[in-house]
Amino acid sequence: MAKTTTGGVEAVYDPRGRVDAAAAAIAPRARQLKGLRLAVLDNTKWNANKLLRQSLKRLDEEIGFAAVNYYRKESFSKVAAPELVGEIAANNDLLLTAIGD
Amino acid sequence: MEPAAVAELPRADELAPPPQGTDLVEWYFAKGFSDGFPVVPPTPAKVAAMLAALGGEPELLECRVPPRWGGLTREVLAINLVLAGCLPDYAPVVRAALLALCDTAFNLNGVQATTHMAAPLLVVNGPVRKIIGMNAGCNVFGSGNRANATIGRAIRLILLNVGGGWPGDLDKSTLGHPGKYTYCIAENEEESPLAPYHVEHGYAAEQSTVFLLAAEPPHSVTNHVANDPEGILDSICSAMSTIANNNAVSSGHCAVVLGPEHARTIAKAGWKRQDIRAYLWMYSGNRFRDLAFDHRYGKIYNRNLPVWYKREPDSRIPIVPSPDHIHLFVAGGNAGRFSAFIPGWGHMTSPVLRAIDGSVGPDGAFCVDGTCAV
Amino acid sequence: MHDAISLEKLGLPAAVVVTEEFLHEAEVQRAALGMDGLQPVVITHPLSSISAAEIAERAEQVVAQAQAIWLGRA
Repeated sequence: MAKTTTGGVEAVYDPRGRVDAAAAAIAPRARQLKGLRLAVLDNTKWNANKLLRQSLKRLDEEIGFAAVNYYRKESFSKVAAPELVGEIAANNDLLLTAIGD
Repeated sequence: MEPAAVAELPRADELAPPPQGTDLVEWYFAKGFSDGFPVVPPTPAKVAAMLAALGGEPELLECRVPPRWGGLTREVLAINLVLAGCLPDYAPVVRAALLALCDTAFNLNGVQATTHMAAPLLVVNGPVRKIIGMNAGCNVFGSGNRANATIGRAIRLILLNVGGGWPGDLDKSTLGHPGKYTYCIAENEEESPLAPYHVEHGYAAEQSTVFLLAAEPPHSVTNHVANDPEGILDSICSAMSTIANNNAVSSGHCAVVLGPEHARTIAKAGWKRQDIRAYLWMYSGNRFRDLAFDHRYGKIYNRNLPVWYKREPDSRIPIVPSPDHIHLFVAGGNAGRFSAFIPGWGHMTSPVLRAIDGSVGPDGAFCVDGTCAV
Repeated sequence: MHDAISLEKLGLPAAVVVTEEFLHEAEVQRAALGMDGLQPVVITHPLSSISAAEIAERAEQVVAQAQAIWLGRA
């Protein structure tokens, strides 16, 4: 924000620019997990697939999903392609994704 | 007015103007707005001159810079240009570079956050280089030239201040590298026996362009022996053929900078840009077994490399997937038989090429909104 | 975080796994994208160079936290 020099002060400038984020609420929570369809999104970083496969196996043992659908991003650290996001949303009720490391 | 959602210091109220006579260089250091070097304290006149060079309209939003997604308005851009020590003439170059960096193909979010040391390398082509006094010759990578130094610095200050890419905070780079202070060169079109880079990529010679690559530091290549293309390029291939550079394990794009002496030897034999890049691609590489450490840490496949690479022990693994993934420039001084290999980050990012005025190349290279993913 | 936020906006409760070293980054990202309510699954760092037994331990951390996040008990 620019400020002009008035008597007795030095003009200083904020180099950061503003963050304007429209607040968005998270999705409504699941009431129960059994019988839902789980999407697993692998961002292909090292060991993400091993972690996810073991986690989903254990989760499925405990919960009993109707389906588990495994997806891989084309490249880690890039956002998933809109078509992939659309496909995941259309065919699943829950998401598990990794890994931010 | 300033959304409090993002944790950052200082808050707007802590930016109250300090008393007259305050050492402003120290003030900007204290507020955490510096890259480690003293900044040039902006004044109303300096900011106004930068804004004029950008075309006015201080609130116009040029782009948002990840990972903080701060808004780079023309005024904020002007402020950072002054802090860096730029002249107003440099402003359109820095703006074009930021627009290119914020193109989704570049994946600036990933480059800012990665533990790898990659930093954006800017290469400028076209008439703007001479108009603003850039250095394309001796010591092209530094130091000593105001345009090269401060254009690169302005980019970094924006990545820090607007993008929030502070080391140890959102920038997790284990080591960083000196290019994170500044990393900007001009191609030496005048001394080069080859066509300029931007002409190779579909622009007219009289257009001015910026090229950005997420890059490791230059790896010097000495060759004071060979007097033919193959010998010189074999030395560059040697520099490329390590398991340690990031392309070796993460694919993607890289750059090669030929010093003018090397370039002249190669061109005298009639070789063109595509011959050079094809040779470099063909005769560099690693054996899969070396990349996999002979599987002594577990069986390795490496899904970051293209599926069509064979993974047998002695399969040749190219450093990058094609000759077009090697971005070739001629730069540096007239004396010295040196070139440089500059590895990239990997397939997670694409370099971008953009005309400074946002126009497209004459043969319509595949571009969106003025930025061409190469 | 981006993908998880996109999918939350489309109605899917998301369990995003980050290692503890990257929790701060995840928090800044979700704030910058306007979704402060998104809780990540936080596992021990690192993930990339650990043994099979250690991966199994991380998976247990995921199993416990993911369910809590999906059900709104995080």
